[in-house]
Amino acid sequence: MSRLPRWWPTVVFFVALTSFPLWTHDGYLLQLVFRVIVFAVLGMAWNFVGGYAGQLSLGHVAYFGIGAYAMTLSTERIGWNPWLGVVLGALLAGLMALLIGSITFRLRGPYFTLSTIAAAEIIRVLVQNQDELTHGAVGTNAPLLFQAPDLDAKFFFGAMPLLGGAFALATWIHTSRFGYRLRAIRENENTAMAVGVNPARDKLLALLPSAMVTALAGSVYASYFSFVGPDTVLNIEISVQAALIAMLGGAATVWGPILGSIVLTLTAEIFKTYFEHTHLVVYGLLLIVVVVFLPGGVISLFMRRWGFRRRAGPIGAQQ
Amino acid sequence: MAFLQAFLNGLLVGGVYALIASGMALIFGVMRLVNFAHGAFLMVGTYLSYYGWTLLGLNPYWAFPLWGAALFALAVGIYWLLVRRVMGANDFLQILLTEGISLTLVGLAQLVFGADYRQINLPIANRITGFGSLHFSVGYILSFAVSLALVIALRQFLAHTEMGRAIRAVAQNRTVAPLMGIRVERVSAITFGLGIACAGVAGALLLPIFWTNPTVGGPYTLKSFVIVVLGGMGSVQGAALGGLLLGVAEQFTAYTWADRYAEVVNFVIFLAVLLFRPQGLFGGKA
Repeated sequence: MSRLPRWWPTVVFFVALTSFPLWTHDGYLLQLVFRVIVFAVLGMAWNFVGGYAGQLSLGHVAYFGIGAYAMTLSTERIGWNPWLGVVLGALLAGLMALLIGSITFRLRGPYFTLSTIAAAEIIRVLVQNQDELTHGAVGTNAPLLFQAPDLDAKFFFGAMPLLGGAFALATWIHTSRFGYRLRAIRENENTAMAVGVNPARDKLLALLPSAMVTALAGSVYASYFSFVGPDTVLNIEISVQAALIAMLGGAATVWGPILGSIVLTLTAEIFKTYFEHTHLVVYGLLLIVVVVFLPGGVISLFMRRWGFRRRAGPIGAQQ
Repeated sequence: MAFLQAFLNGLLVGGVYALIASGMALIFGVMRLVNFAHGAFLMVGTYLSYYGWTLLGLNPYWAFPLWGAALFALAVGIYWLLVRRVMGANDFLQILLTEGISLTLVGLAQLVFGADYRQINLPIANRITGFGSLHFSVGYILSFAVSLALVIALRQFLAHTEMGRAIRAVAQNRTVAPLMGIRVERVSAITFGLGIACAGVAGALLLPIFWTNPTVGGPYTLKSFVIVVLGGMGSVQGAALGGLLLGVAEQFTAYTWADRYAEVVNFVIFLAVLLFRPQGLFGGKA
């Protein structure tokens, strides 16, 4: 009896998800799943730096915002096609990652985390105050990447390649030598250096794709909600969300951010039907629960049950 | 003269910053914990102060010990329930936990109090006094005076009491302190409570000269960490000086350049100090 190959769940998952708009035309459901996909991509991108390399960035919103603003402003001010603006956003985010990373990665632990917040806040304050260029604190309309009819379905299909690309990148990092070097840095930076890993270079190499993918997610997100403003696409909550999604599902795993995004989005959605202003309480409590009771994330529950052996322990396991 | 005015205004605001940051420095120095929930506890202090005044008529300038005590109790409870569990863990989990506590407090405040801005109208705080062409709001002077008195009291407490010595011993060496008969868990709980009481009292004192809403605390978490870094990690005196310095730096930025860039200046100072003078401006070793 031949056994199914190991990659069959992946294929089933992607085929099922891609065909989703064929079964339903419910705009609300499509919107919900679209958000799950975009935030899963955000969590996956964060995971490269936060999960594998163990560098707790709370400044990823900077790249998200750069993606959203680059698409919007290049369309509005120069008259570019918005898709060209999406590419520009990813490139700019990559450049910015090299700049911010070369400064912040010189710091470790809480100093690193705070410096990422500081960098993101500097960008937010600058955007907020350059009224002539960015429309300041008020924000502005973002261009549509797709035209009606069937906007929800089109955006859904638009987000799928992003998820596929992030998934492929994550799988590569998970299994490549590069990924092992990142884990070595996470476990002990000094020891990693002693065995010939160059942490400064590898952390920067992890941040580069992380920032670019985050920027792509930012453009798609802004276009879907057709709005950019410092309080939405440069809000520090997005950074926390990226970290929370990855940690909730399982840091340094390929499927973790997808699981995390599903759990977070659905929990927030359920509570939203009962109370106003609940999303922060939900995020906060989930973060506390994960850190205190489940540092390996939701995925560690499945892994234990199915007897999977992990390639590397969760971040909490190093103590 | 406007220059002198900006300098003195900076000192007055800086006094309150000094109190907030002393609390964070205490927690960081003793527990090696970066408290990302510091600003959220400050926010709780502003609401206690607000409802104390509007419902019970308690003037924050003499009722602040009550609000400090309430925050001390809240913080000790949270320590036993949650923070204790990550004390041995890496800073990655500690930061995420305190961030989670912060989000929960802010979210609860939004649920219970709503997202509106709130202000109190305290006649004494709105009075203006002056010397020559210099003008000061009495509220700022009172908040400054009480804050600075509390920072000095905290320093004396650490220097001269039995508990203060125990706290300093734990800060110096967590492993050896228990061998000297110090109950490290208890000391940590009290330190966490004291540090957060500082933030809460500062919030109560800020309310009469400022306003509040559930997200008012966010910038103070970052500000107090900037100050802790400026003052040399974990030193209360350093944090007090750093607080005054940051207050003055902000006012000068607002005076010479633009109000809205004051925040940027904070972060640039922060990055520059971390990169070029990580031991802080006042020399103390990390």
